[in-house]
Amino acid sequence: MNSALLQFAEWLAASSFSVGLHESFYLYNWIETTHVMTLMLSLGMLAVIDLRMLGVAFANVPASKIAERLDKPMLIGFTIMFITGVLLFTAIPVRTTQSIWFRLKMLLLIAAAINAWLFRGYMLAAKNSWDLEAVAPRRARVAAGLSLALWAGVIVTGRFIAYDWFDCGGDNPAFIDWAAGCVVAE
Amino acid sequence: MLLSFFEWLEASPLGVFMKDLPATFAIVEAVHLMGLALLGGTVLAQDLRLLNVILKDVPSNVVTEQAHRWFKVGLWTLLLTGVPMLAGVATKCYHNPFYWTKMIALAIGILFVFTLKQPLLRSDHASLKPATLKLMAVASMSVWFLVAASGRWIGFSG
Repeated sequence: MNSALLQFAEWLAASSFSVGLHESFYLYNWIETTHVMTLMLSLGMLAVIDLRMLGVAFANVPASKIAERLDKPMLIGFTIMFITGVLLFTAIPVRTTQSIWFRLKMLLLIAAAINAWLFRGYMLAAKNSWDLEAVAPRRARVAAGLSLALWAGVIVTGRFIAYDWFDCGGDNPAFIDWAAGCVVAE
Repeated sequence: MLLSFFEWLEASPLGVFMKDLPATFAIVEAVHLMGLALLGGTVLAQDLRLLNVILKDVPSNVVTEQAHRWFKVGLWTLLLTGVPMLAGVATKCYHNPFYWTKMIALAIGILFVFTLKQPLLRSDHASLKPATLKLMAVASMSVWFLVAASGRWIGFSG
């Protein structure tokens, strides 16, 4: 599995597209800047929705209204995050594939997506019963709190990818190398 | 004079603490980004509402009033994490044009929000000219984008 991933990353790294992204100072840094700036749209809207569910923001506006109206700008934000994220990966594929932080980030993203998907169904089914209350029912509050925590984890692990503390080939504990999927050179 | 302040800051216990372990800086940086998401989200919620792009069926007075509360939380998060980050790399920042761009834009942004935008938006928006509201929104988004983007570029040029 890890050697297949590495093989793919090496193939990608050899493409002129990847090399171009990596070597262009302005292109790479502006993609990175766009990725970070779009936090304001994607996670900014998400935070407003979750804070509404927790009853601490926009308590005087129906919860479903906030969630439904901010859904579109949030998804536009996540789309931009995804595209710039793929480009950032493409620019540095080998190191990123073997980054423990990148792997943790992907796991947290999957967990956040599952949480959002479960909560969306629950909210649509039950919204009329609590829409006008300032504080959502316990289950909605748990989902909102979990969402904020998971996305905070995505930010932390995403930022940590840039640091080389646990890069393969360093003096790492064995389980770190295992989790990062370091492939031993033959 | 100014440079000696930056040198003092970097040598202060806070500056030493920020440099002692590489993880300290990275964690503070990550919390800074969470503050960015909150500040940016509440800026966009207000300004896109004033431009009639989102939340059109929620009164704009309600949107700006509610979002501004969390804007302040975001701003405090950014300031309280930004100062330690500066302390860790103060002399580098002193020589970094993006740092100064950011600080000037930040000062303008804070002054703009607290002395102009918010006092104006506290009155009934129906009594204000639509062009004034839209101008406030565009100015606000521009200045906060400049603060955030020039902040990101501090790290690219070291």
